[in-house]
Amino acid sequence: MLTCFVFAQEETKETSIFKHFKNNLSASYESNTQWYLNDSKFGDFEEEEHLRSTNFLRLDYSISNQFSAGIQLESYAPENLLNNSKLYDKDLGVATYYLRYATKKLDITLGYFYEQFGSGLILRAWEDRALGVNTAIRGARLIYYPSNSIKITTLYGKQRKGFEVSDGDIFGVDAEIDLSKTLGILSSNSLVLGLSYVGKNESYTKADETNTTDIPELVNAVSARLDYTHQNFYTNIEYIQKSQDLRLNNIIPNIVTFSENETFKGSAISWTAGYSQKGFGVNYNFRRLENMRWFSERAQSNANNNPTNQLSVNYLPALSKQHDYTLANIYLYQSQPGLFIESYETPLIKAGEIGQFIDVFYNIKKGSFLGGKYGTKINLNMSYWASLASDFSDPTGIPYFVSDNLTYETEFINFKNKLYTDLNLEVRKKWSKRLKSIFTFINLYYNKSILESKIDNNSVRAWIGVADGTYKFGKGKSLRLELQHLSTNDDARNWMGGTVEYFFNSKFGLYVNDSYNYEDSKIDQDTKIHFFNIGGSYTKGASRFSINYGRQRGGLLCVGGICRPVSQNTGVTINFTTAF
Amino acid sequence: MSIIKLFVNLMFIIYYTKMNKIILRSLLFLGLLSHAQSPLPSIELKTLSGQFIKTDDIASNNKLMIVSLWATWCVPCKNELDAVAEVYEDWIEETNVKYFAISIDDSRTSKRIKPMIDGKDWEFEILLDENSELKRSFGVSTVPFTVIVKDGLVVYKHTGYTPGYEDELYEELLKFSE
Repeated sequence: MLTCFVFAQEETKETSIFKHFKNNLSASYESNTQWYLNDSKFGDFEEEEHLRSTNFLRLDYSISNQFSAGIQLESYAPENLLNNSKLYDKDLGVATYYLRYATKKLDITLGYFYEQFGSGLILRAWEDRALGVNTAIRGARLIYYPSNSIKITTLYGKQRKGFEVSDGDIFGVDAEIDLSKTLGILSSNSLVLGLSYVGKNESYTKADETNTTDIPELVNAVSARLDYTHQNFYTNIEYIQKSQDLRLNNIIPNIVTFSENETFKGSAISWTAGYSQKGFGVNYNFRRLENMRWFSERAQSNANNNPTNQLSVNYLPALSKQHDYTLANIYLYQSQPGLFIESYETPLIKAGEIGQFIDVFYNIKKGSFLGGKYGTKINLNMSYWASLASDFSDPTGIPYFVSDNLTYETEFINFKNKLYTDLNLEVRKKWSKRLKSIFTFINLYYNKSILESKIDNNSVRAWIGVADGTYKFGKGKSLRLELQHLSTNDDARNWMGGTVEYFFNSKFGLYVNDSYNYEDSKIDQDTKIHFFNIGGSYTKGASRFSINYGRQRGGLLCVGGICRPVSQNTGVTINFTTAF
Repeated sequence: MSIIKLFVNLMFIIYYTKMNKIILRSLLFLGLLSHAQSPLPSIELKTLSGQFIKTDDIASNNKLMIVSLWATWCVPCKNELDAVAEVYEDWIEETNVKYFAISIDDSRTSKRIKPMIDGKDWEFEILLDENSELKRSFGVSTVPFTVIVKDGLVVYKHTGYTPGYEDELYEELLKFSE
């Protein structure tokens, strides 16, 4: 009896140590595998590795109430997925790790960390596995809260470059002050001020030693921002100025050279204002970006070599509506934040972008004529984007596209060089307890020649209609049917598409999806090919497994505000994610 | 035939890549840890008016809560929130739960949140996780992701949304409300 008792007690002790360990450990795993197949329409898959897998394992452990540590392992075997960056090149490697000490007043991280100052226009170190982006900084970060209304962040480090780090160093300081708390303004008001500094230092060796231009190795950026809320009204303004930096000289697509005779400043301004109350909301956003592309290694600013924006210091997404439907994702705006002078083929010059968008949300009340029994939700969204109106000149008289002395001037407000406009109308309507639908209408203009650097002058006017209905049978069973049409006389002309998705229960579902460009056009890569996909997913708790077989369209693929050129492919994709 | 070839290839990648060997072992080990009740990670979030707020403070002020990660561009997320919005009042009455809808929208879309939630008439507590710090510490790569937090401990996790899932979530919630 006694031995039994002792044994039982020991077991309890062991169990509790194990329990303590598991309660403080969190782990997650993600695996994406693609198997590229030969295709009767596209031809054979030409690269060597047909089967590729990327895997992420992340472990976080809280050592005590103040200390925590973590590590992320990544595997790209035998290489990264098609269209993703080749910088991620290890079969298995330690990607990031950190040790963190956090109290109410202090938060210190050593190792890799992610950070964003303001909206990210000045600094953003982030991760998006779907996009294949990880710009974590390796170094040290200290966050200090002198009071509950002030936060000061200081950081130093080098940015992640695949399994290595950048040549350039990044320093940053950010102060965020909640003035409404500090000054004791009424609680219906809120006023938050933010001030940032970010510096990047990187050595530079002149190609031309006789050149006397002062080329700065340290590039500085400062920003100020203000968030103000008064009852239902709110506004936000952010301004950034970036000091003189070299510009890339694009003479041959993949060769990186810089124009050493002139250096250029950059700036960004973003202004938002909105009003919202129950059942109605409106938001307006204006943004102007001039020469704001910024990398922790200068050479990475060459978009041909770095289409996925690795080592980007800041975050400059396109501000237009993000779509979920396949045909709505063919002509998407991509932001034009950089000073860009391309001297090969047809010369192309861009200094930045200017534009605006407006969003209106309205809920038609239940019981009214248009609202019906359940109400009707309407969203109207419009955007307009143009490239900056600029005058390029060269004091020495050499034609601008070959000159190293080129300078330029821009107008602060001028919307004349239209790149993209769209109007989106979305109506969500619930018809009964079981049936609901979403209707989407999009009208757009897309300046393909400038947005995709295509030689021929070609722009696209298109409209897209989508009807999407879901019927619930109960017990998790549901059927979703979606029909799409894209109409245009330009580019690859008309498309139609559709999706059928069925959930057998809340865990398991299957879908088929097709997009078909049914008219003859000059763009033969898409014409009369079914971009057919079939797949399914199984979800249990925090784990999800999905498989897809089908054809992916080539061209510009935009996900999460980032666009990049991708090659068309056919294959099987398997994803698995789980978290403990 | 191609299905057999696919299967063989998959087996190949599962067994022979170095990473997966380690992963499979780790997973087996971690499998033992499932149903872990780990504390809600300590992360700084933002309110819609730009003020910072810590998850620890939220957890210490709310006995039972649902934390749901979503984004304005994620259709299943909006469907989930729309569905919960319809029954939320009943949930509060029955379980005294507080629902935190935490947006992972970044600067590309975060400005749409405020008009959207008012336009949609959602009554949830809305907070921002603009650089996905909370999402990362939950170890998730896709949204929606929903957890139930009781007394500061994460007691239930779920990824994805399918029509009707809100009923299952409510069943789970009932288990944790005394």
